[in-house]
Amino acid sequence: MVAVSETPPAKPSLWSQALRAPEFSSLIILVIVLAAFAFGDSKFLSPLNVSNMIAFLPELGIIALGMTLLLTAGEFDLSVGAVFALAPVSVMLLAQNADFSLGAALLVGLAICVVIGAINGILVTKVGISSFLVTLSMLLIVRGAALYVTQGFPLKAWDRPGPLVTLLAGSFDWGPFRLYTSLWWFIVLTLLAIYILDYAKLGNWISAIGSNRSAAIARGVPADRVKIWLFILTSILAGLAGMISAFRISAASPVAGTGYELEVIAMVVVGGTALTGGRGTILGTLVGVLMLRAIRNGIVLIGVPGLAYNIFVGAIILAMLVLHAALQKNKARA
Amino acid sequence: MSAEVLRLENAQKSFGSVRALKRASFSLHEGEVVALLGDNGAGKSTLIKSISGVHPLDSGQIYVRGAPATIRSARDAIELGIETIHQDTSLAPDLSIARNLFLGREPVKLSFLGVFAPLDRAELRRAASALLRRVGIAKKLDADAPVRTLSGGERQSIAISRAMQFAAKLIILDEPTNNLGLEETHSVLRFIKEMREAGHCVLFITHNIHHVFAVADRIIVMRRGEVTAEFVVADADLLSVESAITGADVATLMREGKSH
Ligand SMILES: Nc1ncnc2c1ncn2[C@@H]1O[C@H](COP(=O)(O)OP(=O)(O)O)[C@@H](O)[C@H]1O
Ligand SMILES: [Mg+2]
Repeated sequence: MVAVSETPPAKPSLWSQALRAPEFSSLIILVIVLAAFAFGDSKFLSPLNVSNMIAFLPELGIIALGMTLLLTAGEFDLSVGAVFALAPVSVMLLAQNADFSLGAALLVGLAICVVIGAINGILVTKVGISSFLVTLSMLLIVRGAALYVTQGFPLKAWDRPGPLVTLLAGSFDWGPFRLYTSLWWFIVLTLLAIYILDYAKLGNWISAIGSNRSAAIARGVPADRVKIWLFILTSILAGLAGMISAFRISAASPVAGTGYELEVIAMVVVGGTALTGGRGTILGTLVGVLMLRAIRNGIVLIGVPGLAYNIFVGAIILAMLVLHAALQKNKARA
Repeated sequence: MSAEVLRLENAQKSFGSVRALKRASFSLHEGEVVALLGDNGAGKSTLIKSISGVHPLDSGQIYVRGAPATIRSARDAIELGIETIHQDTSLAPDLSIARNLFLGREPVKLSFLGVFAPLDRAELRRAASALLRRVGIAKKLDADAPVRTLSGGERQSIAISRAMQFAAKLIILDEPTNNLGLEETHSVLRFIKEMREAGHCVLFITHNIHHVFAVADRIIVMRRGEVTAEFVVADADLLSVESAITGADVATLMREGKSH
């Protein structure tokens, strides 16, 4: 191709680029953490424990994908944990008490997520309220709605298997491991998110909006529309994750997902995505998801008392952030 | 006189009770460099933001190449061949030079996919480095480097080369030499001259009157939201231009000048 003669000036090698990427340092730490737990307790890598970790992984992971895109565009969403509860609660209520077919109930559940995301997005972009305040209020409203419609009690167990249930939360055995279909959802959605952020035109817009919104707008990028859709996407993914989780355990609870918003944001920033927008990495998020999951699981196995356990999680997150900040400074100096 | 590129008639724009533009009118022509002067708050930035679609006008009419035009968004302006380099930086610091150069106009494959279409990365790199070479900064800069790592002057050059690349009819620069070193300032002024030679019309805002006399053909002066004076640089003297900017009358200035 003609491009050959147009080769731009010397480019740092792939390897040195990889070394400086924020997700790389996270990956190293992940390996260290995994090795430490495996060393600390041999049960950590047992098929049962690995299966357990993989079962939980997609539920927060799917939300984290949406949150990564949203953070890259410079916003975040604190209502995801509440949506994680309200979506399956609505679906199961409609199907159990209102004679909706499961398919119709799922569609209504998704529609609720779309509406919540759209309200978040419109209030943030068109009214100009910060996403912190908007989604914090939305967290209260949505959690409140979930509690109100259920009168605070978990719903009765879901006892109607079917293709849609299998699609969301079916399981199959693979050698000694028990895997859930949610893993496929997570893999496919991760690949899609990587494609959108790193390869598609939309990803360029998302990063530009988070990096310098007015510059993006001045180039004709529809910044508000992109943000509104990202809020909607994040809400849909939170609802989907909630449904996957509820059908896996065959029960929907109005308090499910409490605190998930902060856990998910922690996963995303631990992976190297900037809280201030402009720089996002899906691979980093994947590392962050694995890391927090492994830490939560491993800490219990190696016998840290349950009540002390958030101390560790918080400390490890802080350590990661310090590391990223140090690397970032180094890079700026280089 | 050469063909008219843009004409503005009775432009009005208010921000709440602040009347930033009241009845501003002027026209611009092919191949000329026009300096837009005026004190802080005169409405210069608002004027160019209305032409570039950032703040659509409340009332008034814009004509592009003689035809009435509606500019409601940045995209409208870009499609009419108007490229603007705003006072507050127009680049996204986290994006690479190449991605900034093509922001909003990315080369893609499978364009039927719309915003989901994959970027044509090879074309992006090729076009970016060709462009960087054309503006004479290819040796120093890697098209993949994030803009964050560049100096103010390099950023300004990137913004200017972006304006040049789509052969815009009209290039607008809002205080392009602000915060630049001597060398960088000269390269910006050189760019402006090159653009005129290439047939573009350039409108630039500055507070440095020496830069005006160095590169501009014509001067438009704004005061309190109105165009209050125009000069042809070849016939203008510094004193009359300054008095038009401050609103003092020339006789007073002359007297003051003599008494020193
Ligand atoms: N976005 C805005 N909101 C409110 N007032 C504004 C805005 N932009 C400009 N103004 C006001 O309009 C007037 C003209 O400003 P501007 O066009 O920036 O002047 P200049 O660029 O000539 O210094 C000023 O009084 C300024 O405070
Ligand atoms: Mg200004």
